[in-house]
Amino acid sequence: MAGGGELGGGKKQRRGKQGKRKTKKRLGFHLDMTPLVDITFLLLTFFMLTTSMITPQTMEMNVPPEIEVKIEVKESELLTIRVREDGKLFYNMGKDAPEKITIKGLRRVVVDQNIAIPNRCIVVLKGSGEAPYGLVVQILDELNAAEPEIIEGLKRIGINERKRKFTVAPYEAKDAEELVGL
Amino acid sequence: MSKIKKKRVGFVLDMTPLVDITFLLLTFFMFTAKFKSESENQNKVEIKRPQTQSDTAKLADKDLVMIKIGVDSVVKDTAFYVSMINEQDIVSLRAAMRKAKFPEVDEKTTVYKIKDTVWLGTIIEKCRFVNNKAVFSIDADRRLRYRWVELAMNELRKKYATSFNFVTEKKTGM
Repeated sequence: MAGGGELGGGKKQRRGKQGKRKTKKRLGFHLDMTPLVDITFLLLTFFMLTTSMITPQTMEMNVPPEIEVKIEVKESELLTIRVREDGKLFYNMGKDAPEKITIKGLRRVVVDQNIAIPNRCIVVLKGSGEAPYGLVVQILDELNAAEPEIIEGLKRIGINERKRKFTVAPYEAKDAEELVGL
Repeated sequence: MSKIKKKRVGFVLDMTPLVDITFLLLTFFMFTAKFKSESENQNKVEIKRPQTQSDTAKLADKDLVMIKIGVDSVVKDTAFYVSMINEQDIVSLRAAMRKAKFPEVDEKTTVYKIKDTVWLGTIIEKCRFVNNKAVFSIDADRRLRYRWVELAMNELRKKYATSFNFVTEKKTGM
C-alpha cells in the first residue's frame, strides 16, 4: 500500500537502492477540504432555495348526505349567513330582517347566538354562486375559529358538550330577493 | 520586550465543524425537498389557495383524490382537474375511465380535465370504486367564483362522499 496516511509503513517496505531515498515519517496529514466544502455549499444553497416551506393545509368539510326525508328545524333557532354576489355579508336569526355585517363582527354574533341557544342553534351559510370562493372559505375559517370560544362559553354556563356545528346550503333566488336594496 | 512576535505568513483554520454543520443542513434540505411530479407540470393551472388561520390538518399523502379547480392560463377556461395519488390507483382509474369511454385517455394520463358535472360525477364514482378509502380534497383558486366549488360539492354529495377537505394555506402574519 502506498497510502499517504500509513504510519511507519515505510520501514519494512524499503525498495530500490537502500539508503538513497529518505522515508518521511508522517504522523498527521492534511487533506485539502476546499473543493469538498465548495460543492457542499453549492448543493446546500440549491436545496435551500428550491425547497418551499409552505405546505398546504386542509380544512375539513362535512355536508349532509342526500336524503329524501326532510328534517324540521325551528326557524327561530336558525342563524343564516348570506354572501351576496358583491361579497357583502348579511345575517339574520329566523325570520328577522337581514342585517349587514363584517367578517370580523361575524364571530361575535355566532358565539353569542350559540351560547344564547346552547346546542340548538344552527348556523347555515349560503354563498352566492358569483361570490369569490376565497371569501366563503374565509367565513368558514371564521366559523371554525369561533368553535373554541363557543365551547368555552358553554362550559361557563355548565354545558360540557358541543353538538352542532354549521352547514352550507344553496343560495336561492328568494335569498337574493331578500337582500335587494340592502 | 520579552514577547517575541511570530510572523504568521499563512495560518490553518479548522474547517471540521463548519463542514459538519453544512453537511447536516445539506442532508436536511435534501430529505425535505419535494420535487414537483410530472403530472403537476403538465397542466398550466396556477392556483392561489385561500388563506386561513385555524386549520392545522395537513394534506393527506396517500389515498388522496385531488379535485383542482382553476383557470387554464393558455385557453382561459375554468375546469375541474381530477387526479389520484397512489400509483396503483392511477393505473386502475385509467382503466376505469377508458372503460367508461372518457375522451382523450392515453397511457400517460394522470390528470383528467373535466368540464361538465356529469363526467365529474362519473369520475368521483370511479375514484371511490378504485379506492374505497379515497379522501377527496378540493383545491380551488381563491379568486374563483363559488359556483364552481358548489358544483363539485354537490357532485361529491350525490356520490355519498360527504366528508372532504378544502386545501388552504396558512395565513402569514395575524
